[in-house]
Amino acid sequence: MAGVGAVLEARELLVGYGDTPVCGEVTVAVEPGEVLAVVGVNGAGKSTVVRTLAGRQLPLAGDALVHGLPVMPDAVLFRRQVAAVFDEDVFFPSLTVREHLLLVARGHSVASPDKAVAAELKFFGLLGRADAVPDSLSSGQRRRLLLAAGFIRPSSLLILDEPEQRLDPVMRDALGRRIRGHAGAGAAVVLVTHDPRLLVQTATQCLVVGDFVELVDPMQGASAIAGS
Amino acid sequence: MAFTRGTARRYNRTRSALRDVLLDVYSTVLALGCVAAIAVSFVLALRDQIAGRGVVERSLVDGRWQVLPAEVLWVLLTYAGLASLAVLARRLGPVTASPAEAVWWLPLPLDRRPLVLPAFLRRTLAAGLAAAVAYLPFSVLTALDRQAAGHLLAAATFGAMAVIAVAGAAALQLTLQRQEPRRRALLLAGLLPGAVLPFLVQAVWPLPAALAAAAWMLACVAARAGSVPGADLMRGGAVSGHVHASVFFLEANELHRALAVEPGASRQRRWGAGLHARPVRGAFHALVRADVVAFFRLRPPLAGPLLSLATCVGVVLIHPALPALLQIAVMVIAGCATAAGTGRVIRRTALIPELDALVPLAPWLVRLSRLVMPALALAFWMGGLTGILAALGAAGPLLVALGVAAGAGMAAGTLRAAARPATDWSRPPVETPFGPVPRDQLSTLLRGTDLTVLVMVPVMLALFLDAASPMLVLAQLALSAGAIAFQARFAK
Repeated sequence: MAGVGAVLEARELLVGYGDTPVCGEVTVAVEPGEVLAVVGVNGAGKSTVVRTLAGRQLPLAGDALVHGLPVMPDAVLFRRQVAAVFDEDVFFPSLTVREHLLLVARGHSVASPDKAVAAELKFFGLLGRADAVPDSLSSGQRRRLLLAAGFIRPSSLLILDEPEQRLDPVMRDALGRRIRGHAGAGAAVVLVTHDPRLLVQTATQCLVVGDFVELVDPMQGASAIAGS
Repeated sequence: MAFTRGTARRYNRTRSALRDVLLDVYSTVLALGCVAAIAVSFVLALRDQIAGRGVVERSLVDGRWQVLPAEVLWVLLTYAGLASLAVLARRLGPVTASPAEAVWWLPLPLDRRPLVLPAFLRRTLAAGLAAAVAYLPFSVLTALDRQAAGHLLAAATFGAMAVIAVAGAAALQLTLQRQEPRRRALLLAGLLPGAVLPFLVQAVWPLPAALAAAAWMLACVAARAGSVPGADLMRGGAVSGHVHASVFFLEANELHRALAVEPGASRQRRWGAGLHARPVRGAFHALVRADVVAFFRLRPPLAGPLLSLATCVGVVLIHPALPALLQIAVMVIAGCATAAGTGRVIRRTALIPELDALVPLAPWLVRLSRLVMPALALAFWMGGLTGILAALGAAGPLLVALGVAAGAGMAAGTLRAAARPATDWSRPPVETPFGPVPRDQLSTLLRGTDLTVLVMVPVMLALFLDAASPMLVLAQLALSAGAIAFQARFAK
């Protein structure tokens, strides 16, 4: 599936519920190494756009392509290439933090899964809670676990829906560095965010979602978030 | 997946003491034994009554010119059971992934078949077994001349047909959304000949034929279980989890809410947008109009009320006739089921009481508004039922007036049930032969049904006495009005 050209491409993509679009048409392309930030006011349709790009819901019109192929969330190749972290606070009640990450690492055939898990636990500050079940974690720690699961596996497209939520400022900065590093390794990243600092740290382009959708540079996107 | 399952098993073992496991097994076996003993004695007593026509020698509709052979009604009821099972199975999945599995397993780049198949097979076989057990009393009550072996054979055949129904529902998950209505119709049509098989117990072939068909269907679906779309796996998992929790907590309202989610119903209904936008005279008028629009937008189920109506008419028409009291019992149960089905708007709004507080109206007026559509729907249903019965010669033309009045009053029971408070789990449970039960569980469960049954008393009395007098109509009007007034004015 991997190849040259845009990793993600949306052409006149219309998203929404029922027959009703929630925002204007989206036309954008994300190349390897790029980070596309998606911003907008509450209810603008940011999450609906990225849910559609991730194949979580069908578009009303237009095309969404990953590596030139239509989004097919049930295809094995698609699942291998696309990692998505949404605010899904759901875990196996009897698996520990370490076991959740081990499950993802092994499922994606990560080389030396134990080492990879240890590295993610260390990066996300979960080493001390590695053998706890998720129910006993704080909401911020559970968020870190979800993010760790998104980063531990290989992907050429990483979709993050407001990853900064429930994270402390130090972790947000670390997350920004991690996103940049992931893009630097050749992946494309789509990042929905309300955090201007995270946006400026990471994004190479920015999509402002509203009744009309426009592509701007990250500084303009940060201004849009700040309301200035 | 094996890793997850193995780890979960180890985790559960470390947290389960042997003493607790033995206690659980003991209390479960004891509860099941009590239920079985009560059910068996009830069924045998009913069977004796039917066989001897002990209490009442006549039907509710005497001297009728229309006769429905009892065997036809039993076949139709068997078919209704199979069709209902197929529809229910489709709502529940039946191939599913739990929310945790959906988040942690489905994104893995692996074949999903080993993920979903074991649970699907377990559930399908359990459904077949449960259907066979449930069919046994039906067989005992409807085939009085059949020997014990015949009942067992019929039940086993029905169980195999139930497996086919569930496997057929799973096959629907593998079809494209636009093709599903046609395939569903094919499945339901295909179950019709299957409903006859449990009645052919004298022949040798029905059970092997049903078992072979069930095995073939299961094999076909199992081979493609990994191809069920992830979205449908997640939807089914969410609905199944909701239903499981509702049954575990004996929460009938939550069960209704869970089963209201239809597969593939992604398009929002816009019925009544024009009606809703039209000017209104005052807040109460606006609220009534919003409730009317909401009632239709939430797609009130039609199949259930129609099936209940057909069953009620069927039991008075069959030959040989059933005891009148049994016919009345069927009508009361059908009435309660229909009344519960009209409470969708009330159940939805009960979740967000703050919404009602936004309207500048007294709470009793809000409750009255919620009653309007259930009252109309139930008046229509009861009017239809009593109209048919009156046309068949039962109790005279005033029966229809009684029915309509009773239907309107039954809506009070719907409101009482749909807005019932949750069981208070903090109070110490009561020890019963079925195990510890929360103190208020039974009263909470019966809340609403009690009022529905009470309101139906005059109309059922008229049917039993075969006379709908003006006095009974007045009594019915007073009872229905009183029930509505009480429920709207004083209910919390």
